[in-house]
Amino acid sequence: MRFSVIETIYKAGLKDPNLCFITGDLGHMNTAEFRRDFAGRFWNAGMSEQNIIGMAAGLALSGKQAVAYSIVPFITLRCYEQIKVDVCDHNANVIIVGVGGGFAYGSAGPTHYSIEEVAALRVLPNMKIVCPVNPTETRVLTEQILRAGGPAYIRIGRGKEQDFELGYVPVLGKAGVLRAGTDMTIIASGTIGTEALRVADMLQEKGFSVEVANMHTIKPIDADFIADRAKSRRAIFTLEEHSVLGGLGGAVAEVLAELPARPLFKRFGVADIWPEVVGSQQYLRDHTGISAEKVALAIKRILS
Amino acid sequence: MIEAALGEDLFGRAKHIRRDIVEMIYRAKSSHIGCALSAADILTALYFGGVLRIDPKSPKAPGRDRLILSKGHAVTAVYAALAERGFFPKEKLLEYGTDGTTLASHIVLDVLPGTETSSGSGGHGLPMGVGMALAARADKNGARIFVLSGDGELEEGSAWEAMLFAGHHKLSNLKLIVDRNDLQDGVDGLRVSDVLDLNPLDEKFRAFGWEVDIVDGHDPAALIPALKKETARPHAIIAKTVKGKGVSFMENRGEWHGKCPNADEYAIAIKELS
Repeated sequence: MRFSVIETIYKAGLKDPNLCFITGDLGHMNTAEFRRDFAGRFWNAGMSEQNIIGMAAGLALSGKQAVAYSIVPFITLRCYEQIKVDVCDHNANVIIVGVGGGFAYGSAGPTHYSIEEVAALRVLPNMKIVCPVNPTETRVLTEQILRAGGPAYIRIGRGKEQDFELGYVPVLGKAGVLRAGTDMTIIASGTIGTEALRVADMLQEKGFSVEVANMHTIKPIDADFIADRAKSRRAIFTLEEHSVLGGLGGAVAEVLAELPARPLFKRFGVADIWPEVVGSQQYLRDHTGISAEKVALAIKRILS
Repeated sequence: MIEAALGEDLFGRAKHIRRDIVEMIYRAKSSHIGCALSAADILTALYFGGVLRIDPKSPKAPGRDRLILSKGHAVTAVYAALAERGFFPKEKLLEYGTDGTTLASHIVLDVLPGTETSSGSGGHGLPMGVGMALAARADKNGARIFVLSGDGELEEGSAWEAMLFAGHHKLSNLKLIVDRNDLQDGVDGLRVSDVLDLNPLDEKFRAFGWEVDIVDGHDPAALIPALKKETARPHAIIAKTVKGKGVSFMENRGEWHGKCPNADEYAIAIKELS
């Protein structure tokens, strides 16, 4: 996904001389072409995220499109107030790309986890939030975000994500259906969508027809999709590699709560605690109850 | 008396701006009068000393010079200077502090002609100035970026991140004016140097790759040449100022950071500024 996002931005930058790229000391290998071809509009600003977001806003207020790129917690929460004031209050054309959503930097520990930034960014007016599921979707949605303009946040994995056929053409702000089903809908966001597909497989073995939807755009949320499924499904579940508070699950719950009638609903995400262990991304997903096995087990219990 | 590029008496302009500041804050029952009076001569030099290349008839011209107010506390001084310079009618200043006005107690958005960025949270101006300086360099449009900062807000780390970047990239079109009144918020006369000592500030800038001038922040004859100076690197102008300058009982008194003058104090202030 890193390669997909960088390649897409690079190609856009070849056509648009106003596109600028700032990295926070990340992607020395991936950004070699930027360095070579984008003199005067590519900067490695080092580990100085407050300055990076401020200068991205300054560039945008002078008519540029500025992309700010680094590891999720540093380029979102370290400089949160700059995102609030300099970017969102000015409605500035700044696109923040965060690498390593969720537990992608698992062994690096809690400083590198990102299980709260979607909630923090979602409350900022003007902000768009996109969490693609795989490299193909990253490419398509990055193109759309570049065209739509910032403020926007793209949350991607750390790298080496498997690509696969999506079965739909991603459209910013519209949920995509990764797998059809009629009994219940699992709404996932980000790379953990692959776990949601495995949950559907496991439940199918038990005779359930499970739809897997990919809410790649968390803001603006596709409220029409949620309202539609609320009418026709026995249950709706959300699955995210993020705190259960304020992210995808929170956004879907807000829509459901204001509908006249709603089906059974449960959020799957990271509980409101600090995981006290470190490990691989898959280990941490399982440890925090958001692996396919744990989610399938929980859904079976709920439905029985 | 200094004759400015606009053929105006700069001391007279500064008095107008100071009277407007007192008027706005008194009517609004608002605060930060000391901070605004401190910056009044710097703004007079910028707007009336032939420094800023700006046109009130074309406030969004791409190649214009930018003034970023980083010390949002001094917003009344900027509003007064912009009105004085003709960016909007002077009557607009009377809206300050009223419900529904676009004249916030800190600049909110660039909803007013002549304002460039939001302000109010310290340490934001210089990073945005860095971005604007990079854009002007890329566009080769000759625009210069002026950032007006307080000295207290240099306690923010973001300012030092930006200083490091600007020095490394030799942003010669970036100027930081430090309104160096050395007074922090507070009734007990707290100096910035008591809270977190910035001294020696000029040496810090030089160590970060900046050129530095220290000038009297109330003397147009010192301010204007410094503000116009062409440099090969980013340029810090440490303007030594007096918080509350121009009103005798407010000068160098920390409590006028947050206090609003009562009717008697208002009358004396206006008299002193007439």
